[in-house]
Amino acid sequence: MEVSPHILLIDDDREIRDLLARFLEKHGLRVAAARDGREARRAWTAGHYHLVILDLMLPGESGLDLARWLRSVSDVPIVMLTAMGEETDRIIGLELGADDYLSKPFNPRELLARIRAVLRRTSERGRGPAKDTPAAYRFANWTLEPARRRLLDPDRVEVPLTGGEYDLLAAMVERANQVLTRDMLLDLLRGRQAGPFDRAIDVAISRLRRKLERNGRDPQLIKTVRGGGYVLAAPVERE
Amino acid sequence: MRLLPRSLAGRTALLLLLGLVVVQAAGLLIHAEDRLELEQLADARDLGRRVITLYRTLVLQPDAWTSVVHDMDPATEVSVESVPPREELPSAPQAVQQLIRPYLQFGGLPFEKRPRGVMVRGRFEPNAHLLIAMQAPDDRWLVVRTQAPERYPWHSPMFLSAFLLMTLVAAGLSLWAVRRLTAPLRVLAAAAERLGRDVNAPPLPENGPTEVATAAAAFNRMAERIRRFVADRTFLLTAIGHDLRTPITRLKLRAEWMEDEEQRRKMLADLDELEAMVAATLAFGRDVAGSEPVVQMDLAALLRTVLDEAADARPANAERVSYSGPAHLAVEARPVALKRAMANLVGNALAYGGEAHVMLAKPEDGLVSVQVEDAGPGIPPTELERVFEPFRRLETSRNRETGGTGLGLPITRNILRAHGGDVTLANRAEGGVRATVTLPA
Repeated sequence: MEVSPHILLIDDDREIRDLLARFLEKHGLRVAAARDGREARRAWTAGHYHLVILDLMLPGESGLDLARWLRSVSDVPIVMLTAMGEETDRIIGLELGADDYLSKPFNPRELLARIRAVLRRTSERGRGPAKDTPAAYRFANWTLEPARRRLLDPDRVEVPLTGGEYDLLAAMVERANQVLTRDMLLDLLRGRQAGPFDRAIDVAISRLRRKLERNGRDPQLIKTVRGGGYVLAAPVERE
Repeated sequence: MRLLPRSLAGRTALLLLLGLVVVQAAGLLIHAEDRLELEQLADARDLGRRVITLYRTLVLQPDAWTSVVHDMDPATEVSVESVPPREELPSAPQAVQQLIRPYLQFGGLPFEKRPRGVMVRGRFEPNAHLLIAMQAPDDRWLVVRTQAPERYPWHSPMFLSAFLLMTLVAAGLSLWAVRRLTAPLRVLAAAAERLGRDVNAPPLPENGPTEVATAAAAFNRMAERIRRFVADRTFLLTAIGHDLRTPITRLKLRAEWMEDEEQRRKMLADLDELEAMVAATLAFGRDVAGSEPVVQMDLAALLRTVLDEAADARPANAERVSYSGPAHLAVEARPVALKRAMANLVGNALAYGGEAHVMLAKPEDGLVSVQVEDAGPGIPPTELERVFEPFRRLETSRNRETGGTGLGLPITRNILRAHGGDVTLANRAEGGVRATVTLPA
């Protein structure tokens, strides 16, 4: 039997630390808690962890500094807790290599789902060839920036995407020039994006085309393959 | 037509011009008086010379008398009589006496040839009779009856055109000066208007004449106080919002230990609502600060994204939203903030009006406009503007299960005004509400 994952939880509020630790333990995770950077470093050297939950608002050493330090010593997955809607924190956090983020106040079950998704993703990552998320993908003069989850057109004009559209496009860009069936796309996106998405891969594709293609009748970038699949038909550069 | 212009510049210019006209008219009169006097003096001297010439001829060269009299102008009548003239003319006024007598000098004549008496009668004016009579030593009377020549005080084209030119130049100069002096007032009015829309509008330049600089400085101080007041209030609001996050997080965790599943679900729903209010409060505070960078972005794609997300959140909405307009339209904006603003409008349209139809118009006069229309009951006309006040909620909104924090529209307007645009609401003739958003193209 697989050992239950060991989580390092770093948060300065004692109540939240205790409650969250109890909650995660109830759901089969092992938890060590730390209240600031010093305790976190001590706990880090004392144990072995599968994932770190890091509150960015810490007394003393900031959460971002701690994340930077963690990244320099390990590639342990990090889930960040950010101040609500602080866009810059989130972007810096993701650029530093956080695997996911949640803004406070978060829903405990949502956090649990995110932790499991990240653990699943990173264990798959361990099996396959290691790949780092690049700062940007370029295809047909378009740019996709994973850290900011944004798409820039050939004139560097930002084109807003829904969460589902972004995930779909990212999945296709990572696998450019491979035919992806609807089932494969559903598989790739499950876990990353819950919700009504599986219902409508085709809807999402048509929305993406509306935003990406200059001529909707004759798509050049996202092509339909006979027999039920799609392909992003463009060379992709990683930066 | 009203006589008094409305603008300060107009009134001042009018006053200056009236003053100018009065001064010029007075100048013209003085000039004419002066000219009359000069002409009178010249006429008097001329008359005096002629009379002396006649007298000298009469007493010294009687032979030349006929030819000299002949040379006199026709308006002058000369006669030699043995008795003093009996005309009914009264003696000339003191002023005429003093004017003419000094020219009747007989210094060049030997003493015994000088006249024994001189009389001046009548008036020295055009169309009036003047009589000068002199008694020669031999008791004959030389009588000269004449009229003063016509006088032309205005008879100088050079003067009049120069006068006209001067008046025009002075009028032009005063108009220019008035416009220039009142320009700072217009700047001040524009600045006040800007401050009303955006408290972070740039300060006025504090230069120019002392009074203008003082007014600008006072205005800037006032703007600064308003800014500080708004910032303090916003800070308070944000601080409360920040501090609420920890207890809400704790409560959400504690709810996980509630036995009663139904109660747990309800408590989490309450906490979500609380969280939404805190989020809105924080968003309200943050958007005033406006820290997100401005980038080029596709407004058409943003509107579609907002509608698609609304449809994704509740599949029933898919039938109730629509977009019409260009497929792509690049504007300069803060994407996250602008998306929140448009999502608020679409969310309101769906929540209170059941539908959200978004129309994007091509740029016109440097502005793009977006309309969001719903099919709801509309808003009472008196509330159309007030719903943009923070925490202002209509009764229909309070009573219904629509939730809402009373901050959605204020946040939307803050965001749009910070972009240099605006949002207004109107009731449609067909029913429902139309939100009109403008943004600089």
